[in-house]
Amino acid sequence: MNTVSRGIRNAFRNGIRTASLAVILGLSIGLCLIMLIAHKAVDTKIKNVKGSIGNTISVSPAGFNPGSQANNALTVTQLGKVGSLTHVTRISESLSDRLSTTGSSTANFGPFGNSSSGSTTSLVSPTTINLDRNRSGSGSGYHVFVGNGTSSLPTNFTPPITFLGTTQPTVVDGNSLKIVSGSTISAGVDANDTLISQTMATKNKLQVGSSFTAYNATLTVTGIFTSSTQITNDTVVLSLPALQRLSGQSDVVTSALVSVDSLDNLSSVTAAIKNTLGNTADVVSAQDQANNTIQPLNNVKTISLFSLLGAIVAGAVIILLIMVMVVRERKREIGVLKAIGGSNLKIMSEFMVESLTLAILGAVIGLLIGVIGGQPVTKMLANNSTTSAQTSDLGSDRPAGIRSFGNTTANQSGGSFGRSLRNSDAVRGLTNIKTQIGWGILLDGFGAAVLIAVLGSTLSAGLIAKVRPSEVMRSL
Amino acid sequence: MIEVKNLVKTFRSADDIVTATDNISFVVPDGQFVSIIGRSGAGKSTLLSLLGALDKPTSGTIVVGDKDITKLRDHELIAYRGKAIGFIFQSYNLIPNLSALENVMLPMEFAKMPKGERTIRGKQLLAQVGLEEGQMKRKPARLSGGQQQRVAIARALANRPQLILADEPTGNLDSANGKMIFDLMHDLAQTEKTTIVVVTHDLAITGKTDKTFQLEDGKLTVSKHK
Repeated sequence: MNTVSRGIRNAFRNGIRTASLAVILGLSIGLCLIMLIAHKAVDTKIKNVKGSIGNTISVSPAGFNPGSQANNALTVTQLGKVGSLTHVTRISESLSDRLSTTGSSTANFGPFGNSSSGSTTSLVSPTTINLDRNRSGSGSGYHVFVGNGTSSLPTNFTPPITFLGTTQPTVVDGNSLKIVSGSTISAGVDANDTLISQTMATKNKLQVGSSFTAYNATLTVTGIFTSSTQITNDTVVLSLPALQRLSGQSDVVTSALVSVDSLDNLSSVTAAIKNTLGNTADVVSAQDQANNTIQPLNNVKTISLFSLLGAIVAGAVIILLIMVMVVRERKREIGVLKAIGGSNLKIMSEFMVESLTLAILGAVIGLLIGVIGGQPVTKMLANNSTTSAQTSDLGSDRPAGIRSFGNTTANQSGGSFGRSLRNSDAVRGLTNIKTQIGWGILLDGFGAAVLIAVLGSTLSAGLIAKVRPSEVMRSL
Repeated sequence: MIEVKNLVKTFRSADDIVTATDNISFVVPDGQFVSIIGRSGAGKSTLLSLLGALDKPTSGTIVVGDKDITKLRDHELIAYRGKAIGFIFQSYNLIPNLSALENVMLPMEFAKMPKGERTIRGKQLLAQVGLEEGQMKRKPARLSGGQQQRVAIARALANRPQLILADEPTGNLDSANGKMIFDLMHDLAQTEKTTIVVVTHDLAITGKTDKTFQLEDGKLTVSKHK
């Protein structure tokens, strides 16, 4: 029987009290652990989000309206200069165009944009317009469709289909494409190969190897993809050279996304691109957008940090009060120990071991609570935080599927780029936070328990030192 | 030998200063069995605390053997208490979650005696005070008052102290058990050659001790020799 075993045994003197204390401490340590898990998970998420959306710069022709034809289109040659700038790791270039469907009355769609060549496609858009929701006049929300001076849509109206020529066919509008059938297209090859969405394939009864017409040419379906947004599902993806040839817009690029090696160089590269392209292009850094986007996660991180500290303090206060109570209760016993030769250090160590034992019991319960509660609490915090942020951020956005032919103002808080960012996989996945509970976290949990025990038993140690051995005589 | 000279201990109360022991002087030769009697509040327990180095006097000296314990530092006092003094209390003051044997072994652990040695000595002492093997493993709550006081006596003897201080050792026991405890202490004083100072109200005890001091209002008024 030594100091350690006596301390451990003391912790179990009163079973009911020990169990109650272990549960209370368990809740406190569990909260510590949950907040630690949330903090680490959110931190990792922020790093991932920053890595995927924060290091890009959007370049589009000055005043470019995605719904109309580019007036001062950028060229591949111009963007080549951008590509040679220091810290630029990659440029993803794209050209977008829209075709009305064969037999549709969308050819004179006017201000909402139609194909420069007046070409049509045999494809039918997967989007269906609810005619009851069509309104004339100005207003917010849904957009005004004006056909031949009347306030109603033509009877054979079919929304136009977007054709996107890109050097990065795996990502459209910030969304990753998942190829479910066939294969992707070669980005730099001028061939009539296309990727279409599964929705479009189903509606048009197409499969890999099928063909359809557009720009008076026969295009082949090379791959079928799925995407999480309706906008992307309405898009036919080709290589950039192919669309430039088919649409007769040789060398034209309607947008480019420049990736930078580090967030630290984002500002300098943005300035360099502006300097290179002059006033022919709108250059928008994603930094502010990224910062705004990850703000809710930063809030969660702050909340979890303060909650972690609060839980540690609460746990320490619990232990402190318990140990003060225990010391007062065992004042005579401490006097006896001192009277029979026990040093302050020995007696304090015994009480320390007792408080540590209680804290470890609490830690075991706390670990269970942390493991069970870590993921749902983190998700709930992230959900609450991002929902409130998105409510204010996206409140004026249109429903998906409508914007592709809506009238937009370029670069209103990022314009199309801003939307692209908000719709990106990374941003949509903000609340998709995966917590990881490894040995590191478990050790941190035990570390928190030890810290709580040490902090909590300091005052009691002081009280023990103050107990005079003669107290044992006086109390008799 | 214990030599107490001009021992004064005062306490501050709210309004005035209370003198618990007032200029007390006496000598107790080695191996004697001494009793201290007096009314409640006369200063008996204070005197015992001072003799046991549990408290420091306001003035005066206490020499035990060749050591003036009033001049010892705190860490020296701990060692002194552990090795040279054995305490026996009225309410036994055993550690409730330790067995009888573990209680007896505790002062030996504080005195850094090896574990094997202290187990043997602990068992010997408990056997000496009349505890059976099965009772040695019991916790104090499962022992009678008389058995608990025997364990306390064994604990007091653990480190072979020069001096045993007992505060009303028979106060919580019936007369039969009280007599048995007294006889036990008396025998141990003889065999272990230990000086015993006992505070008591029990006149049956005072009649059998070598010397009796009476305390009244902090003053040693009467002393009786056999």
